[in-house]
Amino acid sequence: MESKWSCEPPALKIGDLVARVPIVQGGMGVGISLAGLASAVARAGGIGVISAALVGIYEGEAYFFKNPTEANIQGIKRQIALAKKKAPGGIIGVNIMVALTDFEPLCRAACEAGADILFCGAGLPLNLPELRPEGANTKLVPIVSSPRAAQLVAKRWWSKYQYVPDAVVVEGPKAGGHLGFAPDKIEAEESRLEVLVPQVLEAMKPFEDKAGKPIPVIPAGGIYTGRDIYYYINKLGAAGVQMATRFVATHECDAAPAFKEAFVKATKEDLTIIKSPVGLPGRAIRGTFIKEVEAGKKKPYKCIYHCLKTCDYRKSPYCIAAALINAQRGRLEAGFVFAGANAWRVDKIVSVQELIDELIEEYCQALKEDQEGPRA
Amino acid sequence: MSVEEKVIKIIAEKLNVSEDQVKPEASFVDDLGADSLDLVELVMAMEEEFGMEISDEEAEKLRTVKDVLDYIKERVK
Repeated sequence: MESKWSCEPPALKIGDLVARVPIVQGGMGVGISLAGLASAVARAGGIGVISAALVGIYEGEAYFFKNPTEANIQGIKRQIALAKKKAPGGIIGVNIMVALTDFEPLCRAACEAGADILFCGAGLPLNLPELRPEGANTKLVPIVSSPRAAQLVAKRWWSKYQYVPDAVVVEGPKAGGHLGFAPDKIEAEESRLEVLVPQVLEAMKPFEDKAGKPIPVIPAGGIYTGRDIYYYINKLGAAGVQMATRFVATHECDAAPAFKEAFVKATKEDLTIIKSPVGLPGRAIRGTFIKEVEAGKKKPYKCIYHCLKTCDYRKSPYCIAAALINAQRGRLEAGFVFAGANAWRVDKIVSVQELIDELIEEYCQALKEDQEGPRA
Repeated sequence: MSVEEKVIKIIAEKLNVSEDQVKPEASFVDDLGADSLDLVELVMAMEEEFGMEISDEEAEKLRTVKDVLDYIKERVK
């Protein structure tokens, strides 16, 4: 392939998969990253990721509410097939939260449908290797928020399956959506992504030695520019990065225009941490809906399908699934928008290719400045 | 070392508390300050020490020191 950038960034290698652009598009549920966005990222040379959260709702609501598990499985298979068709030869991953009630059947279905990689966070994917059907070549990548969690998963996989993670995504406290930190640790010095990345690299070393293969570490959460990518890859030793917020502001993102506009309009002060019904803190854009919940206004609902194992739906003031689906469809008054800490910096909506070109060019610029050293 | 002593030693080590604090009625989360990762680590350490497998469903029921002692003693004979 002819290079259109002023430098060639290091490819992100996960097992036998090679992404020319070392960027994983973070999975975003509900319905923010489906086949449309994931295939566009894969076509541009990165790793496109479909979110499996409530993916069955896009198979038709009547069907979904009648048989949610079946609809989710049909949905994930259809999204993978569609993404693969739209991005021939591209790398398509699936993000499946461990907290999902349908976690296990979704993992099996995604492998069967030919997903290249499973990214699993929001809980420890301790039994993930046994969910991959015999003969499947799907790579298994846990998403963690601490070196300890990375070590626990690797230790478990090694002792029980003689397998090590094909890569590890380490998600820091500046990410959007649900966060793997206690509320009082989100701003803590020791939680910073720059601090976590070297610790996770260190924690994976013994497992790399045991298995005799590299475990690429992929930081995520608040990475915004090509300079950030340069810092994590060239200075801290990451293999690539995961980014999500930037991909919301693309034409190909699967959310309604109003959802994307919320990112463009958001100011720094609009970004807030909510206490999600799931039991975790989450970062979101503070709109009408969140303000009403903060004011103690409850949104009575009936839980039709207990979608998350960890959701305390009897005590929750609203249904998070319904709120996220409403937002994805552009009904922002009836829901809210999850977003990363840097979402306020988004000022325009571009194509995925334009975004990737901009990021890689910034990366090259940072590399060039570093090589030339400080100017006299 | 008896099974009971071994269990108490592992709990104290993994949760970074003194063995005196590991009383039968002590709850891992409320009394010994364990977080979700500590609990996973604890279960893995027990499995390793006693060569057994503890399923997620069983592990969820182990909330106090006594729960673990009873469970292990029942299985290790």
